[in-house]
Amino acid sequence: MGRLAARLPLVGLLAAFGCGGGSSSGKPNAGKPAPRTVVRNTGSDTMVNLAQMWAEEYRRISPNASVEVSGGGSGVGIRDLAQGIVDIANASREITASEKAQALKNTGKTPQEWIVGYDAIAIYVHRDNPVQEITFEQLAGIFGKGGTIERWSQLGAAAEKDRIIRASRMNNSGTYVYFREHVLAKQDFKLGALGMSGSKEVVELVGHTPGAIGYSGMGYKTAAVKFVSVAAKAGAPAYAPTFENVRDKKYPLARSLNMYTLGEPQGETRKYLDWILSPAGQAVVRQAGYIPVAAGQGQ
Amino acid sequence: MSPPEAGPSTLGSGPDRAANLFAATDLTRRKLRAQRIAKYAFGAMAAAIVLPLLLILAYLLVRAWPMLSWGFITEVPANFMRGGGVWPALVGTLYLVTFSLLVAAPIGVLAGIYLNEFARDNWFTRAVNLAVINLAGVPSIVHALFGVGAFVIFAGLGKSILAASLTLAIMTLPVIIVSTKEALNAVPMAFRQACWNLGASRWQVIRTIVLPNSISGILTGLILQVSRAAGDTAPIMFTGVVFYMAVEPGTLLPYSPTDQCMALAYHLYTVTTQVQDAPEALPYATAVVLIGFVFVFNSAAIILRTRLRAKKKW
Repeated sequence: MGRLAARLPLVGLLAAFGCGGGSSSGKPNAGKPAPRTVVRNTGSDTMVNLAQMWAEEYRRISPNASVEVSGGGSGVGIRDLAQGIVDIANASREITASEKAQALKNTGKTPQEWIVGYDAIAIYVHRDNPVQEITFEQLAGIFGKGGTIERWSQLGAAAEKDRIIRASRMNNSGTYVYFREHVLAKQDFKLGALGMSGSKEVVELVGHTPGAIGYSGMGYKTAAVKFVSVAAKAGAPAYAPTFENVRDKKYPLARSLNMYTLGEPQGETRKYLDWILSPAGQAVVRQAGYIPVAAGQGQ
Repeated sequence: MSPPEAGPSTLGSGPDRAANLFAATDLTRRKLRAQRIAKYAFGAMAAAIVLPLLLILAYLLVRAWPMLSWGFITEVPANFMRGGGVWPALVGTLYLVTFSLLVAAPIGVLAGIYLNEFARDNWFTRAVNLAVINLAGVPSIVHALFGVGAFVIFAGLGKSILAASLTLAIMTLPVIIVSTKEALNAVPMAFRQACWNLGASRWQVIRTIVLPNSISGILTGLILQVSRAAGDTAPIMFTGVVFYMAVEPGTLLPYSPTDQCMALAYHLYTVTTQVQDAPEALPYATAVVLIGFVFVFNSAAIILRTRLRAKKKW
């Protein structure tokens, strides 16, 4: 009796799992055991929603392919690609020479770039903030090291909360890298910015905080925030991050959304990329709030 | 003031004194008052433990109500993660918990038995005990980094359910070892001594007396393992969990162990931080499913435990 009791619980637990697994193989789905292919897709947080939408749509077109999507940042995706543990890396920035070399060293293949859409980095402020336009110089004064702009009144705006709260990203973010390169001229960020871990979090923080300003992908706009038009130079015309302005390259903070594969993609990965670049795939880009690669496509 | 026997002067005449012999004096009243205060104060603290739990459950249920339905459990995320259900995440969590339990339970329980029943007090045992205690104190994010280095890259498992489960197993091992040791420790030494005196070997005693009497405590450790493995996000987010993976709704075996999977805890994190225009109720409903999952697992083990405890001999 004692012996039996000692063995019961473990056996019971194992049996419970065993049944869970075993009974399912007899389910009707077992009738179509077509080999399932998994496409692994990791990277940019800016692109993770877009990538998820593609994956969800693609399941309808190719039911035997399953696309795994995860975020983490452009740097994470490219690093995983360089280690050969993903099939496609998403990046909202270009791959660097050293990352390319790393991938070649580890896997013997050179990453190949696929431009799958365009995005604008929008400058977000709270809905009630009166600021309409901002220049690169002013942005550098707010975000950059040594910048002296701390209050909205310095921009001539009478905001409800005068002190500027800066919502930024972390350095694994392609958006962060892009902003630093293009707005701050590769200078460092001023200390004291809130480093948010996701694109959506930046916009959410700005939506909750009247004195806040933040940068994030244009696809993340909500009703609680508004876009500020951006001018590359003082005196130059400022443009809002609209579809037309990005397409016509008038908006100064636009960038390409890239996917990287190791060498020439094969099999399901190839099919997936071809579908992404097809009108059906590009329609999803538009739906996600970004700009399709060829103007007029995916309307 | 003073006990009744102290002197007649404080108590008046003879018959009065006899009548008041057992009446409460100031001292007993004070003692009783202190006891009452202690009882209610401590009782309030005990109630305060239950209160947050009830509040959390009530809050979650109220906020999650608009989305809760059977379909939320059996469907896959739809409408770009803003609708549908959490089936792939629920099954993913089940996979992770099961695989990690399959690895951690035997190792942890057997190691616990060795440490409590066989090991002598020497430098090796002390080193192992120290390692267990330190392992229990390692933050889960550090386990995650270890998992990436050891399982994902070095062992070549890639980001996969296997790598994530092994990471979870390492994280939960100390819980199982410690609770196994304590459960065994709770079996009175006299039981063992009686058996040894009858000529039973150590192993016979463990098999027939010690384990049956400590199994409920060991199960408690396994329950804790399940809850921790199901709820922790850090160890899995770098080792095998994805933002989204397309699977058929309602299938029980959508993943192979070398795939990555979705998991409830991580899904909760992503719908909160990453999905745009997600309905307010979505994260709450996901949390309710996660708590429900742990609850179902736990109650199965608790029922088993009480059945076994009924057989306890002391």
